[in-house]
Amino acid sequence: MSTRGGHGGNDLQVNGLAFAYGEQLILQGIDLTVAGGEFVALLGPSGSGKSTLLRLLAGLEKPARGRISAGGHEVAGPGPDRAVVFQNYSLFPWMTVGDNVAEAVAKAHPKLDRAERRRRAWEQLDRVGLGEAAARHPFELSGGMQQRAAIARALALESPFLLMDEPFGALDPVNRARLQDLLVEVWERGQPRRTVIFVTHDVDEALLLADRVVVMGASPGRIIAEHTVPFPRPRRRAALLGDDSFHALRERITDALDADTLAHLDPA
Amino acid sequence: MSSEQNTLAAPAQSDAAAQARKRAPFAWEPLLLAAVLLVAWQLIGASLAGQGNPLLPTPAIVFDALWQSLPELGRGTVSSFLILIPGFGLALVLGVALGLLCGTTPRLARAFFPFAKVAAPIPPTVFIPYAIAVLPTFHLSATFVVFLGAFWPIFQNAAAGALAVEGRHRDNARVLGFSRLETLRKVVFPAALPHIFSGMAVGLGFSFILLTVAELFGANAGLGRFVQYYADFADYPRMVAGILYTGAVTWAVMSLLDALRHRALFWLR
Repeated sequence: MSTRGGHGGNDLQVNGLAFAYGEQLILQGIDLTVAGGEFVALLGPSGSGKSTLLRLLAGLEKPARGRISAGGHEVAGPGPDRAVVFQNYSLFPWMTVGDNVAEAVAKAHPKLDRAERRRRAWEQLDRVGLGEAAARHPFELSGGMQQRAAIARALALESPFLLMDEPFGALDPVNRARLQDLLVEVWERGQPRRTVIFVTHDVDEALLLADRVVVMGASPGRIIAEHTVPFPRPRRRAALLGDDSFHALRERITDALDADTLAHLDPA
Repeated sequence: MSSEQNTLAAPAQSDAAAQARKRAPFAWEPLLLAAVLLVAWQLIGASLAGQGNPLLPTPAIVFDALWQSLPELGRGTVSSFLILIPGFGLALVLGVALGLLCGTTPRLARAFFPFAKVAAPIPPTVFIPYAIAVLPTFHLSATFVVFLGAFWPIFQNAAAGALAVEGRHRDNARVLGFSRLETLRKVVFPAALPHIFSGMAVGLGFSFILLTVAELFGANAGLGRFVQYYADFADYPRMVAGILYTGAVTWAVMSLLDALRHRALFWLR
């Protein structure tokens, strides 16, 4: 799988970013550097603005202050270099799953004819284990299958960046584990690897998936800590749970989150 | 967490349940009501009879008149549909196109919505005498009036549908880099379809009302004209037959629209 050329790398730079919704300050003083091919988890409680930060990176919102550059280009709006997977409902319900993915294929390769787009869409769906479901509509699929299709659509854009907003948050534990494995698999297979920004409120998920965890606190949303995740890949859940350093890191992050929450519980 | 899985699977299940409900018990209530009304009609009609020309002809007489008038009613239907289809069709095309454009373009919305607020509530029937007087043929004036009646509900519903497109659909369109036209065609139009179908149903109802009223004024054929014509001869059996027939045609067209809606909106179930 090739990423698009001409984007001048796939690193991400965020400088002095702030965002407000009317009077309410949502994000303040966000500085973040992500290397090309890095898998970064944005971890935080609700209200920490992690989803807003992702929307800003995607270009779906405009910052009040600060700059974002992706692959050396300033982000001014959504672009084909940044694929996005939302928590659910990433698919258009009136199109078949195959057609949903074919729309992304058409963006990546505008010159392909209909039949070839469709063929590549099916290929992409096959890669996430959904080859059989291409002719179905989203409402016929389970939540886990819908998210697989959403991932297939994001991959079909062939973009150097993959932005994911709690993509597995609505899934049952079994499906979530399967999709986590699938995501790591497709990320590791990338030549070169995609830069992944993964929003989650689940510490274990962040530590299982990411190279680095960026911890965010609330009111206003800001970065309160960053941790490199030292565990070698491939990571196995059972092995991590038996590893003391995993629990130590997990505890440090949880404590930081709790301390931040408590500090803001009592403004008086 | 697994309950979430169930919620996501729920639409398919409720669909199956709805189908099972549709198939299983036969609804006898409407047939009972129809039988009661028919008996009442017969009794009242028979008790009023005797003076040669009953005010309320009994069912047998009406159905006989209906049978004999079928060729004439058939020609009337063709004539009426030659007004209805172009008028409603034009209203549908223009109403959806303008409605979606206004619903997605703030500047157009600012220009059109206040105007629509004033123009839409004018009962289209008041245009009938003027249209008949000004336009060269009756066919053209009736088509115009049908168009007016159907246009506003379709326009307003299409605009409301475009304004109500969910944020997630807009986000996905932007993430996929859809052009304005692509967004209109692939996202706003299908997302607004439930609203558009509501507008079509209201507009179609208006169309039939306006069509028959216009035909009372100046037609020489058509369903409304049929009833008006036999009124002049006090031929009540044929009048009632014409009313029943018009009801049946309206019902058939409405059912067709309903079936179309059901088909087009399969993804909502």
